Amino acid sequence: MIFHEIYGRYYAAVAEILRRISEGTLAEHDIPEITAEKAFAESVLKIPDALLDGTWPLLYRDADSGRLKSVLRNKPFQPLSLLQKRWLKSILLDDRVQLFLSPETDLKELDNVDPLFTPDDFVYFDRYSDGDDFTGKEYIKNFRTVLRAIKEKRWITVSFSGGRGRHHEWRCIPLKLEYSSKDDKFRLLINSPQERRFINMGRVISVRKGRNFSDKQLSVPERRQEKIVCELTDGRNALERFMLLFSYLKKETRKTGDDKYEVTLFCDKDDESEMIIRILSFGYLVKVVSPDSFRRSVAERIRRQIELFRRNSGRNGVCTE
Amino acid sequence: MAYSELVKNFDRTRGYMRQFFVFGFKSRSEFRSASTRSYDDERRRVESWLGDYMKFRQERDGKKIFISMDSREIPSNPFYEAFRAKSFTPGDITFHFCVLDMLYGGKKLSVRQITDSLYNDYFPETDIKKLPDSSTVRKKLAEYEALGLLACETVSRRKFYFINKSSIKPEAWRDAINFYSEYSHLGVIGSYLRDRLAGKDTIFGFKHHYFLHALDMQVLYNLLSAIHEKRCACITVPLRRSGTSRKLTVLPYKILISTQSGRGYLLAWHYQAGKPEIFRLDSIRVAAAGKVEKHFEKYTSWYDDFRKYQWGVSSPRNFILQHIEMTVHVAPDEAFIIQRLEREKRGGTVEKTGSETYKYSADIYDCFEMIPWIRTFTGRILELKCSNKKIEAMFYEDLMMAGKLYGCEEAGSANMGTDGVAE
Repeated sequence: MIFHEIYGRYYAAVAEILRRISEGTLAEHDIPEITAEKAFAESVLKIPDALLDGTWPLLYRDADSGRLKSVLRNKPFQPLSLLQKRWLKSILLDDRVQLFLSPETDLKELDNVDPLFTPDDFVYFDRYSDGDDFTGKEYIKNFRTVLRAIKEKRWITVSFSGGRGRHHEWRCIPLKLEYSSKDDKFRLLINSPQERRFINMGRVISVRKGRNFSDKQLSVPERRQEKIVCELTDGRNALERFMLLFSYLKKETRKTGDDKYEVTLFCDKDDESEMIIRILSFGYLVKVVSPDSFRRSVAERIRRQIELFRRNSGRNGVCTE
Repeated sequence: MAYSELVKNFDRTRGYMRQFFVFGFKSRSEFRSASTRSYDDERRRVESWLGDYMKFRQERDGKKIFISMDSREIPSNPFYEAFRAKSFTPGDITFHFCVLDMLYGGKKLSVRQITDSLYNDYFPETDIKKLPDSSTVRKKLAEYEALGLLACETVSRRKFYFINKSSIKPEAWRDAINFYSEYSHLGVIGSYLRDRLAGKDTIFGFKHHYFLHALDMQVLYNLLSAIHEKRCACITVPLRRSGTSRKLTVLPYKILISTQSGRGYLLAWHYQAGKPEIFRLDSIRVAAAGKVEKHFEKYTSWYDDFRKYQWGVSSPRNFILQHIEMTVHVAPDEAFIIQRLEREKRGGTVEKTGSETYKYSADIYDCFEMIPWIRTFTGRILELKCSNKKIEAMFYEDLMMAGKLYGCEEAGSANMGTDGVAE
């Protein structure tokens, strides 16, 4: 059962309160604070009262000292559930797992545990087919070196082949490993004072860890974002498809007519080419309103296509609406 | 009933969260199926769970509520919070903390001993009515055994319960838990493990990361259980036209995932229709496992062909193939277009047909599904041929309408925009 109170925020907050009492580090006025930290925004209206008025009889007030005490004799604890073990077993079957687990990780307990799912249960039908080689020895070695360097806050010297086949060797600070399920690739975000720079992990030839860096040496530039405004006509379920397709972005939608909507998307400027083709995939149902340069790029491709269409088919290219 | 931020099941809230997230332009009055109070309660609940991700905008026709987030900036799927809001009774929480405490250190106790200890050791002065009775304790012990928190052994017909110890240290799995909590399709379970880790990591980021599928994880979990046990499943899906729903018996076989929209689908044999069908996971309201299918292979033998010739997720009406060919222009410095064709095609072949032309050919069940992808090559398609002539007509008609939108329906005399400059 995925949806169960043992995984809930309320139990987590109560466990923390009981733990702090058993350690002798809880003052009564800490209860709302712990609740706010461990549970939801309005939980503070429920949890402290339920504990203090005996609705949940887990605390009592010591008659002599007047201090709150827990009815438990030990620190609260919760064993791993079968669901959690089955999930761990499932991820062990994935190709990428060797990137994250050290060879010393004890897996024996999972020998007799059934996975919740296997890779064979899923079909990623629109995933690009040139994803990273997650099981390659060099890939795993490089990935793990980068991962350790990020954790240990170290410089790295990374050698890789660029998009046009040129060889590069950079000394840099690794910041984050970004994965795209669509591309099935990891990219390494590195420090760079001018712009956000990524290195495709699939192109890395070797990585060496260097000395530690100080926080002063970090320079993470802001993302260069762009605001794209589109006009959408809701035909062929385009509204829902568009909203889902771009649901990973910040966006705002306004209804402007019976089946007309204005959608504002906030995306990375570096992703402009990808945004153009994704918007083009909606055909006439989505029109770019701004920015002007982006609108012109989309319009230019449509114009070129109409021209090709005319030239190759002998048709006149007049709208057949 | 008084408002609570906890829920017994989140089916209804699932619908609201979806509306706020996917659309976000509706005012309260547009949620027609709900009473005002019900809407207010659901909105308040979602706001309590998601905090700052909920946004408001006042417009002339009312207040619009929407959920907006940039997945590249968020290390953890916010919708997982919905799974942490299960309601419980005072007896449940009392049982949970006291019984696990009672069994600490490897103790093995019978149902009777556990009940007695609750009454005598933990709550000697508490009104017995406030405490779980022995029947409730027995049921809860069985539930905790099924959850795997407790184990049980029988000695002389008496059951003795004890903590189900584990040597697994979540810290040793830290990186895997952090990554798969987001990547895996039952990632919410990983997020429960992540709750046990000290501190928070921001080592991993995700691009093209879709959050909404989190709300379908209970349905997905039930379907995966059925798949693994080769069982039928009874699913409830909506009927679009009537607004009602229908129950279907299917044999679940695969889960299809779109990495480009985040949507999940069930591919199953539909007994009544006598053919495979595909259902969106977010439209399945209930999925309950049924009986074991004894002739499993008989109902899944179509799969290999299906996989080979299926482009997307339309349920095949028949298994008749359509042939499609798209020839594109590729300039000498545009090798990325050839790479795109190779990596994005699903079946079929790419061949060089001229010094600057490449042809993609494929046999597909439903070429209609390919149109959005074909459109991504707009501006370089030299020829599109399909055995289904409607596909060609549709592509060109849509193109002309798109041209009209931008004022360039008559190529060569294109007015490219407000500035009137053609590029």
